[in-house]
Amino acid sequence: MAGDHTLEPMLDMFLFETDQLLEQLEQIIIHSEQSDTYSATDINEIFRIMHTIKGAAAMMLYDNIAALSHAIEDVFFYLRDTNPENMDCTKLSDLILSSIDFIKTELKKIREGDRVDGDAAALNSSIKNYLEILKQSNPAPLENSGTGVISVTNQQYYIAQDKKAASTQNKCFKAAVFFDAGCEMENIRAYTVIHELKDFAEDIHYIPENIMEDDSTCEMIRQNGFVVRFSSDRPLAELHDFFGKTILMKEFQLEETDPPASGEKKARPQQIVLEDPVVKIPPSPEEGLPAKNSEIHSSNQQSMISVNVAKLDRLMDLVGELVISEALVVQNPDLRGLTLDNFNKAARQQEKIISELQDMVMSVRMLPLTTTFHKMQRIIRDMCKKLGKDVQLELIGETTEVDKNIIEHISDPLMHLIRNAIDHGIETAEEREAAGKTASGKITLEAKNSGSDVIILITDDGRGLNKGKILDRARQKGLLHKPENELTDKEIYNFIFAPGFSTQDKVTEFSGRGVGMDVVTKNVNSVGGLVLIDSVAGEGTTISLKIPLTLSIIDGMTIRVGNVRYTVPITTIRESFKPQAKEIINDPDRNEMIMVRGQCYPILRIHRLFKVTTSVTDFTDGIIIMVENEDEVLCLFADELLGQQQVVVKALPPYIKNIRQAEGLAGCTLLGDGSISLILDIGGMMRRGYSL
Amino acid sequence: MKKVLIVDDAQFMRLSLKTMLEKNGFHVAGEAENGILGIAKYIECAPDIVTMDITMPEMSGVEALKAIRKHDPKACVVMVSAMGQESLIKEAIINGAKYFIVKPFKEDQIVETLKKICQTKE
Repeated sequence: MAGDHTLEPMLDMFLFETDQLLEQLEQIIIHSEQSDTYSATDINEIFRIMHTIKGAAAMMLYDNIAALSHAIEDVFFYLRDTNPENMDCTKLSDLILSSIDFIKTELKKIREGDRVDGDAAALNSSIKNYLEILKQSNPAPLENSGTGVISVTNQQYYIAQDKKAASTQNKCFKAAVFFDAGCEMENIRAYTVIHELKDFAEDIHYIPENIMEDDSTCEMIRQNGFVVRFSSDRPLAELHDFFGKTILMKEFQLEETDPPASGEKKARPQQIVLEDPVVKIPPSPEEGLPAKNSEIHSSNQQSMISVNVAKLDRLMDLVGELVISEALVVQNPDLRGLTLDNFNKAARQQEKIISELQDMVMSVRMLPLTTTFHKMQRIIRDMCKKLGKDVQLELIGETTEVDKNIIEHISDPLMHLIRNAIDHGIETAEEREAAGKTASGKITLEAKNSGSDVIILITDDGRGLNKGKILDRARQKGLLHKPENELTDKEIYNFIFAPGFSTQDKVTEFSGRGVGMDVVTKNVNSVGGLVLIDSVAGEGTTISLKIPLTLSIIDGMTIRVGNVRYTVPITTIRESFKPQAKEIINDPDRNEMIMVRGQCYPILRIHRLFKVTTSVTDFTDGIIIMVENEDEVLCLFADELLGQQQVVVKALPPYIKNIRQAEGLAGCTLLGDGSISLILDIGGMMRRGYSL
Repeated sequence: MKKVLIVDDAQFMRLSLKTMLEKNGFHVAGEAENGILGIAKYIECAPDIVTMDITMPEMSGVEALKAIRKHDPKACVVMVSAMGQESLIKEAIINGAKYFIVKPFKEDQIVETLKKICQTKE
């Protein structure tokens, strides 16, 4: 089944849905654990989730996942039914969280095309043990104590017809039905036969008898078939037809028999009369208006659809193309010098619609940070357990929305930061109390919008960063690039993001290996974001991630150098101005600087950096654009400004990226006149500028 | 072509069923993700057959079955259930479910089941 390529969409759906359900499950567990009890709704919900996962996994033939979810389903089935009092919530949460992890690992294997070979036997048996212990400590009340009807097991049942008494012209028949191997629930299948048969047959007896009450009758039916005796006025051929239509049946035998001895009827100790179903709906708020009710529901629920991300990416690309082609039309050289009042009017309208469309497409790609933030709860829980610390997590602004691609890039950094905060930041309860703080630590995860950026703050109330220790370590690792007494606090703190840096002498399971913090900067920078750090000794640390809302369309200032166009991201520009000769300073090393309002800034000639020929080499003929990146300021020298416009960022083709010359370029874009403009990456330019 | 309504809270199951049925000449007239929506869809698209999951949020399959049969006593509802839900299937059958399918189901099983049910209906 798994080899069938038509299953691809189903596999996708399986992975997608199971992932979602696991997220949901994890939330419920963490929540329940905080209140140390499982509410009835939670139990129902967990049961349903496990049930759904089990069903889907079994369909996809992932037996290990199916078996594990079945085991958990059983536990919650029991909890739902008996509601025992003395259950060990923590242990159960542990078991389920480990199971979630197991399933997640398996899903990952599926996604990567590996063999799904995880062995959950140990986990499975601990879950079963848990259920056993639970059952033993909560002896079930005597079964069926209230229902006497079904307590007799050894009689033959028959179905009486209230239409008429068994008439004499009825002939007697005996049928034996064998079902398909592996069709399961044979007893109920047999029951459906009886259910249909009673429309035109009487005196129905069958073996095994108590099919509806005893599920073990399945085995008997599998071995000996389901044997029915009945009388009917229908001809043999018609009955033959009836049995032939039995679903999932392997074979059947049907024969006419002699009528049973007349005394037998009286020997029947009991009757069960199966009547036509009387449909009873318990009086509930829904009654009478299910349709009306569901309309409201459907308008709520059916309004959501899930869409393949690849399609969204394509849509985004197309809108990007549309923005470019709009510019191609409106700024077409053929139109130059013409009076086009009506055209301009129409063009403005079109521009408005296209920009709305662009906003809409972007908003479609936006996801709230909720899931990412909630994942952190699990990490905190696990770490606190292992490290014996008590940390509360506060989430603020979790509904802030960010582009999906960006969310994927910041999930890992967040995880590392949280781990570090717990491992290094938050002190043990004793230390905290000694320092006059509350015994339990607190980590705040906050997200907020700020212009075209989202800022995520990770704040802990721990011991703060140890400047001395960081400096020592930086010295050991040879990271100091200027005299120690000239380093600002921020520069010192930034050392912790250097590759291989760790002040922790011993490596713990969670952090201290020095990998991680540099991953944070790497990941955040790769989406054009920044990491800032601030700390007060004894009071805590705040790490802020400044992340752009989206990657694909930016506001840019187009500039010209020689014949080449460049686009500078507007967000990096502080100001631009025509310099005067007296402001230019040359230092003894012939580095060019400019004095602006008493501050001195280095100048970088773009034409020199990218080796472009231009007639404008005198500062007073061109223009200075002051840009900043991570608190560093640089003045770019270009020929002229061409104007501001939104540009669609296209990645540089790999063959350009692979040569070193691409440093300082973030990508390229198409301008309205069809020419290509290179988008400048200010951070990269600074690094490249130093090496000139 | 026979119209089928699929009621199941799991998107995966709906997709599986839909793929299997459409490949075999059934027309999937609608899908619903819980009992209440199932009833609404039933009224809306009047399918020949309903495949009804049992464990669902908002309203279970058995409740939905009862309501649908009350609205249309001729309604042909096939329960889709996992192993271990025998008692609920029994309840469903007593309340007029036409037949049942056990998860995990195979394509040929489900197609045979529904085709036979169609025959019996005629």
